[in-house]
Amino acid sequence: MSWRNALRNSFGEQQRFMLLLIAPAVTLLVLFQAVPIFIGGSASFRDWMLTNPKKTWVGLAQYISVLTDPAFLEIVLPNTFLFMFASVTISLAFGMALALALNRPFRAQKVVQTILLLPLMVAPVIAAIMMRWMFNDQFGIVNVVLETLGGEPRAWLVDRWSAFAIIVLTDCWLWIPWFALLLLAGLQSLPKSPFEAAAIDGTTPWRVFRHLTVPMLRPVIIVCIVIRSIDAFRTFDIVWALTGGGPARQTELFSIYAYETAFVFLDFGKGSAAAITGGLIILVVGLLLYRILDHVRKVSL
Amino acid sequence: MSEIVLTKLNKHYGGMHHAVRNIDLTIGDKEFITLVGPSGCGKSTTLRMIAGLEEITSGEIRIGGTLVNHLPPRDRDVAMVFQNYALYQHMSVFDNLAFGLRNKKVPEAEIKKAIRNAADILGLGELMQRKPRQLSGGQQQRVALGRCIVRNPKVFLFDEPLSNLDAKLRIQMRVEIKRLRARVPTTSVFVTHDQVEAMTLGDRVVVMKDGYIQQCGTPLQVYGEPANKFVAGFIGSPSMNFFEVGIHAQDGELIAQTPFLRARVSERYKAALAAWNGRTVILGVRPEHLRVNASDVDPIGKVEIEVIEQLGSEILLETRAGDLSMTVARVNPQLPVAAGDVIQLSVPSDQLHFFDPETESAIR
Repeated sequence: MSWRNALRNSFGEQQRFMLLLIAPAVTLLVLFQAVPIFIGGSASFRDWMLTNPKKTWVGLAQYISVLTDPAFLEIVLPNTFLFMFASVTISLAFGMALALALNRPFRAQKVVQTILLLPLMVAPVIAAIMMRWMFNDQFGIVNVVLETLGGEPRAWLVDRWSAFAIIVLTDCWLWIPWFALLLLAGLQSLPKSPFEAAAIDGTTPWRVFRHLTVPMLRPVIIVCIVIRSIDAFRTFDIVWALTGGGPARQTELFSIYAYETAFVFLDFGKGSAAAITGGLIILVVGLLLYRILDHVRKVSL
Repeated sequence: MSEIVLTKLNKHYGGMHHAVRNIDLTIGDKEFITLVGPSGCGKSTTLRMIAGLEEITSGEIRIGGTLVNHLPPRDRDVAMVFQNYALYQHMSVFDNLAFGLRNKKVPEAEIKKAIRNAADILGLGELMQRKPRQLSGGQQQRVALGRCIVRNPKVFLFDEPLSNLDAKLRIQMRVEIKRLRARVPTTSVFVTHDQVEAMTLGDRVVVMKDGYIQQCGTPLQVYGEPANKFVAGFIGSPSMNFFEVGIHAQDGELIAQTPFLRARVSERYKAALAAWNGRTVILGVRPEHLRVNASDVDPIGKVEIEVIEQLGSEILLETRAGDLSMTVARVNPQLPVAAGDVIQLSVPSDQLHFFDPETESAIR
């Protein structure tokens, strides 16, 4: 009973109640997050393959192997950043356009809003499979349409850049509604009178957008960009379902690289090292992004 | 010339709410009009329709002879000051002032000149590089005024611009707006719910209620000759006292009488009130017209003092006679009175107001 007494002595009643409330969450977090991360971290310093499960300690050798891997440096990292940049920029632009269009009242506004939000409810894997069939070179609807319009059918997923474009397209399709939803909420929370003042001041719609809407919406935009960038960095499912990283690893993103190394080539050591490297990269990128965008916001205020 | 003419102006919100009803109003060139009334009376809606921020359900608005019904706000050449200032928070004061001119692609040199001029008038010189949230409420409202001045529009519109300021600042800004008016005479419409602002600023005061214009006249007209009971009660502070009185003829005079009060009708109202002989009307007396224990004017009755409010410059008395309660203002602060005292009230008979109990319009 001594630990009970110790608990009672060191914490007040309210604190003990709070500890009780967070205990389940902490337990789950430790068991399913902290422990696996620790195991993964430990594995990244070992030579651990399914064919050679001795788990010899090798220090930073696995990290060096990842960072000197031409596939990682020349394909995976550029791909990941390019994907992140393209997906976030395009979704932000279209999401903003949609939000602006939805922000003015019109007939059937609610219906249109609901329909636009549907992609948010589609599982990414399903969306990816859908897209894969649409762009299938023999049976896909895209080629059919292209042919009726007099174009040449293409093997979309065989070429690196068209496959990459389809991945970005799928991701944008999934995430534009999310941007639209958040930006719309932001737009609707903006005070009306500066816009009325601008209307009376004779401001063109473009100047209103450029000098009022964007600056006033900046906090929301920053949060959207940071969240989505970090999220896009670890995209796995749609790439896996669309191309599996192919053709010939040409569309491989960082998460696919880590997964394949660990669970396809069964090199747990190197896979863990890749995963942790990626984790560190996105940590730095996320912080930098937040710093830069927040600085932009402060300067403009 | 920038005369504003409103003809049969109406505004419905949906099927039910009729915010503005058949407003006919002509605002002369360089005239300063105040729209006043309780909240929901349609004054702000009327202003916003003139600005073009609100669609017109029916009727016409002409500014300087041009029909503007379907013109967007930017083509009406009006400027507006908002209750919450509506400054562009992320821009400096200078950029706020320059924004409207840059919209019109005015050369920067001219913009600078216009802003320097406005800054001189409003004393904004040192604040140019500040952001609006670094300014006090009064300074922000001055910037908002400046934003209007630099554009040199045909019409100034004010939507309760002083309501967000504290009482002292409000009085200061009121004077400043008057001063501004003298330097930059422009046709102006000023919306307020404060009758003091309406009276002090307006060349003419438009009193509104339930979407209708109740009365439109100079401050002296709406105070001295209110068109109906609502205007009489709304204009003036403290509010006019009202009570029902019977009218009867006696010795060639008309007498307005209740069990507790009795007043002689002056020559001014005699003709109009003759028709009411033997019937009941509503009598209105302004608190400031009542005199205590005066010997030189007609006494109307005795009342008991319930509450005394000593203001230093005057005393306000809440008095009672039977079931009538009456407020008395402008009582000499040196007058030795105490709660419970019975005093004699009197009032010059030409300062009585009579209203039809049915329609509430003035009898005169």
